[in-house]
Amino acid sequence: MLLTIVGVINAILHLVIWLASLFLLGSFNSGGHKIMLLGYFYLDALSAFMIFTSATIAFAAALYSISFIRTDYNLKKISRNKGLFYYLLFNLFVASMFLVPVINNLGLLWVAIELTTLISSFLVGFYNTKHSVEAAWKYLIICSVGITLALFGTIIFAYAMNLASGINSFNWTELLAYSGKLDPNLVKAAFIFILIGYGTKAGLAPMHTWLPDAHSQAISPISALLSGVLLKISLYAILRFGIIVVKCCGWSFYPNLMLIFGLFSLAVAAIFIIVQKDIKRLLAYSSIEHLGLISIGIGLGSDLAIFAALLHLFGHAITKSLMFFGAGKVAQTYNSHELKDISGVSRVLPATGIALLIGALALIGFPPGSIFISELLLVISAISSRNYFTAGALLFFLAIIGGAILFHFGKVIFGKPPEKELSPNESPGLVLTYVFLIVMIIGLGIFVPTIFRHSILSAVAVIKGI
Amino acid sequence: MEMLTLFAIFLVSAESTLAQKFSGLLRSFRLQSFFLALLTLLAAYRSNSIELYFVGSLILIIKVLLIPHLFQTLIKGINVSDNLGLFVSPQLSLFSAGILGIVSWSFSNQIMHGTDLGQLIIGVSFFVMLVGIFLMISRIKALAQVIGLLMMENGVFLAATVIPGGAPFFIEIAVFFDILVSAMILGLFIYRIKAIFTHIDISKLSGLKG
Repeated sequence: MLLTIVGVINAILHLVIWLASLFLLGSFNSGGHKIMLLGYFYLDALSAFMIFTSATIAFAAALYSISFIRTDYNLKKISRNKGLFYYLLFNLFVASMFLVPVINNLGLLWVAIELTTLISSFLVGFYNTKHSVEAAWKYLIICSVGITLALFGTIIFAYAMNLASGINSFNWTELLAYSGKLDPNLVKAAFIFILIGYGTKAGLAPMHTWLPDAHSQAISPISALLSGVLLKISLYAILRFGIIVVKCCGWSFYPNLMLIFGLFSLAVAAIFIIVQKDIKRLLAYSSIEHLGLISIGIGLGSDLAIFAALLHLFGHAITKSLMFFGAGKVAQTYNSHELKDISGVSRVLPATGIALLIGALALIGFPPGSIFISELLLVISAISSRNYFTAGALLFFLAIIGGAILFHFGKVIFGKPPEKELSPNESPGLVLTYVFLIVMIIGLGIFVPTIFRHSILSAVAVIKGI
Repeated sequence: MEMLTLFAIFLVSAESTLAQKFSGLLRSFRLQSFFLALLTLLAAYRSNSIELYFVGSLILIIKVLLIPHLFQTLIKGINVSDNLGLFVSPQLSLFSAGILGIVSWSFSNQIMHGTDLGQLIIGVSFFVMLVGIFLMISRIKALAQVIGLLMMENGVFLAATVIPGGAPFFIEIAVFFDILVSAMILGLFIYRIKAIFTHIDISKLSGLKG
């Protein structure tokens, strides 16, 4: 009972935060920025967009947690204290993700991103089983190495700044002001460290190896936050540095790197999705694919492509959360992650079956899902910038991944239910979570509201450094 | 004097690849951190900056005394053998360290122009980072991975404190505490791995695949 009350209060809190973030997003839809508190905090359209994305998924995850944690408690998987501890960690984790987009200092940005890793490692290792501890260890070690490289890159950036201006500063706004004068050689070297470092945490292949482990072993509401938000928070750090690199070295070096990493991630994800045996790992690999797509959008570099990338970022966040919530419920009910053990969800858990069906179709770019729009825009912008190779590769891999996901989820949703006794229950909170996300997924696929469109366009202007 | 300390850091890092026991690796890490603190204090003396004195003393307290002490306590507490378990023999490790040295020298040559000491510092700090990574991937025990990571961070700190335009004081302190916390969390996870798996061999942590 106590867990339910805490969960409901938590969900209401995050609903309020979500509404506030919506208001924040609206206030930046004509551009502009604010600097606050001794110059350490900074807000612009891109930050507002990231905060809105985080808040949306955080609210959905909070809503979903109510029934998920209670069921885990009823199944004796966790104790009551552990359930309460979960809500503490949940809020710390979400707070650390809100912190990243508002920081104006590249050093503190690093600290904030490292903080997200440290806190979420406890949520990955939450069940304290062999698999989850192994996943948490890999997550901590690989991401720490990555992020240490990113720190090195940040320091080289600061050194370049010192050479160009004589100022000893990590402030993003000051770096931006001098970005035209920085030594391109140093900046390029620094950016490679940044890209590999934060790219590790963003799950770009070939630095992705920790991702399927961590995302599949984490407690399900957290899997949604990891895939839906945390990956993009790291990508956000790359974008921030990218703005400086573009001003210093022009539109060739950084976008080309993003294209290469993006296409490679897409290819790696395609291979692993086909042969996948675990439902949550399948979704984790699909996150690598979508991060690749977002990188490709940034790499193509036209206004349309970056718009598509940001729309995709949000679309993927809501769709993938829906899928992780559904898969989490399924794994909890069937007591297994293995695809071979799961079938006939539509009969055992009807609402979850519908959510998974809509989610899977939206995820592979079926209309009317928001991912359909963003993928279409991506392909159009690749063709219109005469980048036929990228357009072709995009379509090729999307077709393979689409087929593979339909194959796996077709059996999961429509197959014959297992013989053994299951005790399915779908609480109103769970259904409400599904409805909240499905409305957004389909709504954005039919019509992008004006405020939302203007906000994304302002964020595109920030990324292009205008 | 700076040159000499840098050279000492270089030597200690190269030597750390020879360690076959955890106590030896910890000693190398301690020495490396000690020379890093010395270098920071030297820089503080030259620029007469109280902040750098503070950072130097922090390195001395946390990286030379506190963290090694914590890990010694940990290893006693969980009762595992002192062997690191080498994928790569000591001789080959030292040879690899030599190659990493050449790589880092040519890297710093590529990106730095003019300033001799700056080039040397970037070169050595990159070398320390590479050795850290090398230790992480070529040793079996989880403890070696943590020390490798801490060594990498020493390399970054070397660059941060000594090159002009390195980290401002406030940032440096924030980063420092972050590292302390991450070392403690890693220690905690080693404890959990030992409790659940009854060993700390990373090569046997292979339940998750594909």
